[in-house]
Amino acid sequence: MTQMEDQEKQLEIALASVQKQGVHMKMCLDKNKLMEALKHASAMLAELRTSLLSPKSYYELFMKVTNELCYLDLYLVEEFERGRKVDDLYQIIQYAGNIVPRLYLLITVGLVYIKTNTNLKRDLLKDLVEMCRGVQHPLRGLFLRHYLLQCSKNVLPDIPDNEENEHPEGTVRDSIDFILMNFAEMNKLWVRMQHQGHSREKERREKEREELKILVGTNLVRLSHLDSITLDKYRKVVLPGILEQIVSCRDAIAQEYLMECIIQVFPDEFHLYTLNIFLKSCCELQPSVNVKTIVILMINRLTVFTFQNSNASEVKLFEVLTEQIANIIQSRDLPLEDTVSLQAAMVGLALKCYPENIDYVDKSLQTISDTFSRRKIEKINHKNPVSRELMALMKLPIDNYNDLLLVMKLKHFPEIIEYFDYTGRKTIAIYLLQNAVQYRTRIPSVEQAETVLTMVSPLVKDQQDQPFGEEDPEDFAEEQSLLGRFVHHMKAEEPDLQFKILMAEREHFSLGGNKRICYTLPPLVFQAYQLALIYSGKRNQDELWEKKCRKIFQFCHQTILELTKAELAELPLRLFLQGALTISQINFKNYETVAYEFYSQAFTLYEEEISESKCQLAAIVLLIGTFEKINCFDEENAEPVRTQCALAASKLLKKPDQCRAVAISSHLFWSAQNNLGQPIQDGKRVMDCLKKCVRITKQCMEISVQVQLFVELLNYYVYFYERGNNNVSIDILNQLIGQIKKEITGLAPNEETEQITKHFENTIAHLQNRIESVDNEDSIYKALEGLTL
Amino acid sequence: MATRKKVLLKVIILGDSSVGKTSLMNQYINKKFTNQYKATIGADFLTKEVMVDDRIVTLQIWDTAGQERFQSLGVAFYRGADCCVLVFDVASPGSFKSLDGWRDEFLIQASPSNPDHFPFVVLGNKADLENRTVSTKRAQQWCQNKNGLPYFETSAKEATNVDQAFITIARNALAQDTDVELYNDFPEQIKLSGSTENRSSGSDNCAC
Repeated sequence: MTQMEDQEKQLEIALASVQKQGVHMKMCLDKNKLMEALKHASAMLAELRTSLLSPKSYYELFMKVTNELCYLDLYLVEEFERGRKVDDLYQIIQYAGNIVPRLYLLITVGLVYIKTNTNLKRDLLKDLVEMCRGVQHPLRGLFLRHYLLQCSKNVLPDIPDNEENEHPEGTVRDSIDFILMNFAEMNKLWVRMQHQGHSREKERREKEREELKILVGTNLVRLSHLDSITLDKYRKVVLPGILEQIVSCRDAIAQEYLMECIIQVFPDEFHLYTLNIFLKSCCELQPSVNVKTIVILMINRLTVFTFQNSNASEVKLFEVLTEQIANIIQSRDLPLEDTVSLQAAMVGLALKCYPENIDYVDKSLQTISDTFSRRKIEKINHKNPVSRELMALMKLPIDNYNDLLLVMKLKHFPEIIEYFDYTGRKTIAIYLLQNAVQYRTRIPSVEQAETVLTMVSPLVKDQQDQPFGEEDPEDFAEEQSLLGRFVHHMKAEEPDLQFKILMAEREHFSLGGNKRICYTLPPLVFQAYQLALIYSGKRNQDELWEKKCRKIFQFCHQTILELTKAELAELPLRLFLQGALTISQINFKNYETVAYEFYSQAFTLYEEEISESKCQLAAIVLLIGTFEKINCFDEENAEPVRTQCALAASKLLKKPDQCRAVAISSHLFWSAQNNLGQPIQDGKRVMDCLKKCVRITKQCMEISVQVQLFVELLNYYVYFYERGNNNVSIDILNQLIGQIKKEITGLAPNEETEQITKHFENTIAHLQNRIESVDNEDSIYKALEGLTL
Repeated sequence: MATRKKVLLKVIILGDSSVGKTSLMNQYINKKFTNQYKATIGADFLTKEVMVDDRIVTLQIWDTAGQERFQSLGVAFYRGADCCVLVFDVASPGSFKSLDGWRDEFLIQASPSNPDHFPFVVLGNKADLENRTVSTKRAQQWCQNKNGLPYFETSAKEATNVDQAFITIARNALAQDTDVELYNDFPEQIKLSGSTENRSSGSDNCAC
């Protein structure tokens, strides 16, 4: 039989016996045979003498027995109310054979006696709590006293004792004495369990003690429910009484549990005003007691309470706690992680209850910093529990302020970051930046920007203590993108200051190496472009604006060149183009030269660095599109670029790419503007481009590709026709349409063909629409009637 | 044999910590309320005599700890309950969500003979609070889905609906109470194998 089965069996037998005796007892009570009933009650109670049951099973048995005793109690109360004498009964019961049943019956009868003769309450309670000493077997004694506590609940005097008059029924003082005595006795029984039996059963005993703890704690619950216990009485009598017992029992399990119990069962007002006494006792507990947990529990309770009750602020909570915690740390060799988590609880308190007082948080940080330097701590491994606790602490102000600038006001914050290892520092860096980005914190000065960039250094550049080996590329990209987003948050109100911030940032970011600058420099360049536009807007207020713009673009030029040195091409190409576009919008002295430099840099990158055909197509489209929008060049500069673009387009590797790029370049000869703001509208050059496209298209091998390109070209022709390029004739359009119609029927039916057909049909529908809605006066559309659609 | 005059009814109050179980019991029995939070440890009962439809019954109301770690001895006190009161805080959705757990736990541990029709009564406490987050409708819906459990919105602080709720609790408990018949049907002579004396080995050398 396993131990569990054995327990169940034993319990079953005992319960059956209790059931049987209980039924007999009740039947006797119904027949008014009290003596008989008491005999059965006694037999029933004898079951509680067992030593075979575990605490949980014993508790179950106890519940069953005391439930049956309730019936006896109900009967007796009724009898005594009718005037039955109790004295004889009290005597008779004394003769019950064994002490356990006898004391249970005495308690039952005694309490009935008290209920009916309240004058004897005080003496009888004293009597009962004394008599229970007769049972020194821990388990039985604990439950017996638990029964006493349960039964006496309704009769404990709860009258203030500070009045002059005598109270024959007793006062709250009697209740306190009664419960404190019961508590002390129960605690002794409970502690004694630890020292009984063989040492190899220590584990089992501790488990049993753990289960039984609530019986001891219930005494404290009972005290907490006495309304006449004022703060004064709690401070002078109750708490010292409890603490005396806790400290003197010198048992770690009891101490840890009961200290927690005090915190849980008594109201926070009491704790607030007795903090010193309570925390002083913490210093006196056994070395193995986890004092940290107790103190943190107390701090957390008081944090919530102080937060909810503004009147609690008359107690200098933070100061008192700081002092007491220092004492505790000094008197008990606490592990480092415990001192850190104590400070974390203090930081939590400071943040919640004294939000305006940043110094409180800083003070806790300083305490930690001092502790570390005293213990000669240099770096804390992120796997170390100290690191975990410290991380939780560091996140508190970040999460609470949601304002990076406030976090930076904590003088000791940066120095504590330095204690973390690489992984820890990086975690904090990410946490700081995520918070700043989420709450849109703006960093308005060079000094603050420098401070932040130093605090997030593990993201900005390689670290000395960085572990060897590749990082996860996805994580890395995510971290760097975060840093990139943050660049937009470092922004001064004043443009000159903003430029200084940008220069400071570049200094930091330049240290990041090739793998980082592609994330960090582009946002910096965009910030600089924006700044140039701001100066441009202030041209009437700042006479140096042209010089400053020039400086900014120099800065950008250098910055982008750094990216080209990192063997990047597409990214700097785009940045140069964006720069050229921005410059052309700001008409400052010699801006044409600067814009030309940016554009030619981009073009050079295209020619020298971009080799993949897909990227080439994308790049040339960008080059053409950008140039179409730039109108600062005089003809001498502009003409060669246009020709260059068209030429580059026609030199692409794949025919369809060539065709499309050349077609796009046609816009350079039409809608693009010269430096006087007039569109070029060179109809002949446009036609040259489109004709070239037709030639290229015919060189394509695949018919479907040909048709597709023809349809696209048809759209170009129609577009320029409608824009008034009279080099486009109806004949050309008819020719193209005829060509497409001829080819399109031969295409294999598939999705692609469907798309091409649709595109063509839409184009035709567009033209038809034009013809039908034509105003007779409109000569261009009139001529369209000559189309064979 | 006549039905015994006095009936003892056992009522268990369950619910998450700080929903106001102790406060409800205190308001009902002592007509007192305090805002102070004092955790309950283990389980504890108070009794009160009430009249239910011309019968005097003694309610034995068990207040329990909402925090599991304060039930280190197990929940033997669930056994023999005649009614179970499930309490949540109308300002705490979490405590409302826990009701299912408390109900299941009770049915498993107390193993009543007819679990589908065991009388539960649901109380949405702290109804005086302005920041309530569990709507009356939602709570009623839940009760409806559980075979139509009675639902009261109470305030232990303002003594709203507390007496009404406990009358219903007492009435439903009384309807459930089978103790009387069970005991009347109990045969006179039962001999269990092994008497108390034979098992005296269970008691160790200690004389108590």
